[in-house]
Amino acid sequence: MPRARFAPWLLLAPALVIVLVFFGIPTLYMARMSFNLHIDQRLYVPGFTVEHYLNLFSNPLFTNAIWTTVQLSLLASFFTVLLGYSFALLVWLQPTRWRLAFIGLALCPLLISEISIIFGWWMFFPRNGLLSYALVSSGLITNKISLMYTEFAAFVGLVYLTLPYSFFILLSIFDGIDKHLLEASADLAAPPLTTFREVLLPLTRTGILVAFAQSFIWVMGTYATPSALGPDTLWTMGYLIQEQMLGKHNWPMAAAFSMVLVIGVACVMILTRSLMSKRTAFHA
Amino acid sequence: MPEVTTPARARSFEPVLLRVLASSFMLFVIAYIAIPIVINLTMSFSDAAMIRFPITGWSLRWYHDFFESEQWTGALVNSIVIALGTTVIATSAGILAAWAFERFPIPFKDGWYLLIMLPLFMPGVVLGLGVAIAFGGAVIGGYSIYGSRELVMIAHSLWAMPLVFMLMEATFRTLDYRILEASYDLGGRPIRTFFEIVMPLVSTGVISSALFAFVISLNEFVMALFLTNRDTQTLPVLMWLSLRSAGTPRLAVASVILALAVFACLTLIMLWYVRQLAKVSR
Repeated sequence: MPRARFAPWLLLAPALVIVLVFFGIPTLYMARMSFNLHIDQRLYVPGFTVEHYLNLFSNPLFTNAIWTTVQLSLLASFFTVLLGYSFALLVWLQPTRWRLAFIGLALCPLLISEISIIFGWWMFFPRNGLLSYALVSSGLITNKISLMYTEFAAFVGLVYLTLPYSFFILLSIFDGIDKHLLEASADLAAPPLTTFREVLLPLTRTGILVAFAQSFIWVMGTYATPSALGPDTLWTMGYLIQEQMLGKHNWPMAAAFSMVLVIGVACVMILTRSLMSKRTAFHA
Repeated sequence: MPEVTTPARARSFEPVLLRVLASSFMLFVIAYIAIPIVINLTMSFSDAAMIRFPITGWSLRWYHDFFESEQWTGALVNSIVIALGTTVIATSAGILAAWAFERFPIPFKDGWYLLIMLPLFMPGVVLGLGVAIAFGGAVIGGYSIYGSRELVMIAHSLWAMPLVFMLMEATFRTLDYRILEASYDLGGRPIRTFFEIVMPLVSTGVISSALFAFVISLNEFVMALFLTNRDTQTLPVLMWLSLRSAGTPRLAVASVILALAVFACLTLIMLWYVRQLAKVSR
């Protein structure tokens, strides 16, 4: 019946048009753009050169940016998972009546625009900000301090943005665990920390991996938070893409940078998947 | 017997310590999440001309300022129009695709699935850059696509549509398909069955995914930064640009208004959900 053969494609058409035309074509276009020439301040000149990629991996400005981004992503993801894991574990152990309130709290960073969050921290860290005021008026320090435009501030902002994802991924993993296991372990005279190490940790390993990969990918691609809260020297890949595109009008360079970012994100995803399947295969 | 007493003593000591640690950790997380939100809220009522703590005077001055400024209200209108457009595009495309995946055999299903989900994992900078360079000079019938609200709607749909698709696929899987068979047996044609039988059954899923799409688009500003011009810039874009020049309490007001729009949506979902529950119990 031809009707049944066409029906699914007709239904899929709008989604595929959006994805192919507005994601597929731009990606191919970007790949092509990254090999174009960039001659005297024009956006781009058609041609073929690998100069931008070579530049990317030899110019210390760009290699430093790549290195900074990877470092920042690793560190932020580590703390995100640490915080998210403890938070999810405690919420899971709480009596159910508190649960909804904590879930609502964890939803807040997801529902609020990144720019509002940046601005919130932007008012917290500087000399005349809330932190400095609170510390001085409580008598802990005598002179006003500023943590604004430091790597710490950027870091606090980044962890804030990725925390809810980690929390929800890990909470769903915890919810799949039978709480009687904890009692069983306690009955066998294992102190809480041993129970944690021997029972909970092995059961949640996949969740930790997924949460880590998720926040790593997220932080790799972000640029607003580190560039608004961090020091001027904190140049992440996202920031440089934006800078090359809107500031320097060097489209091929921005495209080459984006391609490297996309390939990096894809590699992390593939790596996570392969680690996950290995683990499940081991259990089976 | 020391082998027995040691764990017993350890057990009586550890829970107390752990409980104290757990409570202080919870307080820390609550404070961490609350700080930027509370600061925005309080600063929006400040009377001062700049950001400074302690706040000495309180007024609605910056709210007046916001609503009197054509630039800021214009940006708010742009944001809402773009978010509504994204909702319509992402929800309809996502629902239809999810229905196709649920009901029909499709060759290379996994490949298509991956293709539809892929944009969700792409950084906003990359998506924005790609769309900007591919459609930078595109003009259709004298109407420049680049800088138009429609292009931003579609760019935002790249994130919103996969999410709708994912949610609706899960929702469709919970349907009782015997009802569909019954409808077909009674002579209901597929399109009519879809709108009169299926849609009411999955309405909660549809409403939730639509509101997700709305919230994503309303808050997004990296793609919008690449794709808008002065006339079409959204509220988050304008906030970002003015944060780069100088921060005033006006930005806090804008944050509060954005958040209010999101929470108004959430209230809508809740009301809808309560109504559905009441219907079921009746």
